[in-house]
Amino acid sequence: MSLSVGRTAATARYLLALLLGEQRVLLPVVAFLAVLGVLFGGDPGPPPTPWAASALALYPVAAWVALVVANVEDPVRRTVTVTAAGGRAAVVTATLVVALAADLLLVALAVLFPLLTGRYSYPPPVLVTGAVAHFACASAGTAVGLLCARPLVARIGWSFCLALTVVVVTAVQPWLPPVGTAVRALSSGGGTPVGPALVGLSAAGAAALLSWWVDTRR
Amino acid sequence: MRDHGRVVRLVGVRKRYRGRGEVLAGVDLEVAPGAPVSVVGGNGAGKSTLLRIVAGCASPTAGRVHDRPAVVGYLPQSMPPPARMTVLAHLRHHCAMHGSGAAGLAAATSVLDDLDFTGDRAGPLAALSTGNLQKVGLAGALGCAAPDGPGEPPLLVLDEPWTALDAGAADALERALDGWAAAGRPLLVADHTGRAARSPGARTHRLSDGSLTEQPAPSREPDTHVVVVLRCPSTRAAALAALPPVAASWDEGGLLGVRLPAARGDALLAAALAVGCSVVGVRQER
Repeated sequence: MSLSVGRTAATARYLLALLLGEQRVLLPVVAFLAVLGVLFGGDPGPPPTPWAASALALYPVAAWVALVVANVEDPVRRTVTVTAAGGRAAVVTATLVVALAADLLLVALAVLFPLLTGRYSYPPPVLVTGAVAHFACASAGTAVGLLCARPLVARIGWSFCLALTVVVVTAVQPWLPPVGTAVRALSSGGGTPVGPALVGLSAAGAAALLSWWVDTRR
Repeated sequence: MRDHGRVVRLVGVRKRYRGRGEVLAGVDLEVAPGAPVSVVGGNGAGKSTLLRIVAGCASPTAGRVHDRPAVVGYLPQSMPPPARMTVLAHLRHHCAMHGSGAAGLAAATSVLDDLDFTGDRAGPLAALSTGNLQKVGLAGALGCAAPDGPGEPPLLVLDEPWTALDAGAADALERALDGWAAAGRPLLVADHTGRAARSPGARTHRLSDGSLTEQPAPSREPDTHVVVVLRCPSTRAAALAALPPVAASWDEGGLLGVRLPAARGDALLAAALAVGCSVVGVRQER
């Protein structure tokens, strides 16, 4: 399995161009902006507590985005992309990179949004804590989305049902890393949740790896 | 200096689908550079499955593919287009993914010209007719080769590439594939029109009941030829230089006589009229 960085980067650019052309990826982003508007529109309270809600909301949003990214091409089209990119590993890596890049964008939106209202002061350490906690939830969402998308789950209806079930079951446990622990760190004013962020990132990587492995059996 | 192409070998390849049973039952195949391989078989025989395995987008249940090049150009049958991407953006992305870059893009756009692509290159793929879409797909696959690029020659795998092409484009594609093989690159085609089998050096295999058997070179009737007599305004050499290649040419009392396979007759007549020659006579001969 040889991976060419240049060709993988070209594949990531291609997937991004497809996504932006389709615009289906805008649905979760707009939904998330609406949630942010509701949360931070009024008086949200001093940071980092209000971020607990937006981080929790980012979990299913990121799963939705990852689902859209992974399913951006139909299976026949995907065979051409796999051969053009030089293998499934390149395409899976490119998919993961694009999904994580989308996560970073959503994290930036969530962290910077309350700065616009300017009601409270957000010193840099607080911003960092907020960003890391949001990334933990976003990367966990990416993992769930990738596990529920093609090639693991063929039909979009089942993908959504499965993703929703997993998100609901795992989000409400405050002891469960990474989402539970990251949200608890925010709401109880704990330290920067670097651990949960790493768990989330690893989960996303593992999901991509599983996706690649299943595809090589086809 | 380009590496010499390796022979792509399939050894004992089997493919079983849940519910469909064994589609490929122990297939051995060699695709050598310069010797194009054409696969024929009935509908549902498994040609597309075999091509996907050679191209690397499907995995065999058993057996292996050896020495597949790093760059593979592939075109499946009937591919739905991405909705909004333009023709040029699509080709640019594909050449970037193949690693052939700007040279590959130039090759791809020249393939579009050769195939007489009549769509809007700046317009979306979804707006193209089936034939034009097929031409874009072929351009993308053929553009995976950067001429004189480094590394080993890429493999081209085409599934029924003559689908939806008009006669002129079909002839142009035959020439393009002949050129691909002549450049020392491996080529695998599934084709029921018989055009791939006509390529110089081509070997034909038939896939039936999951097994591949090589067909002997077809002992068909010799190609029908046509003889065209032209009155050309320039000298014979200048006229021949402006026309597509012919099997033979001679002087017929001041007129130019050419003999060529009947399939290429129309292209020659069009080119002759375009350069200002006048057609005096056309006759058929064996």
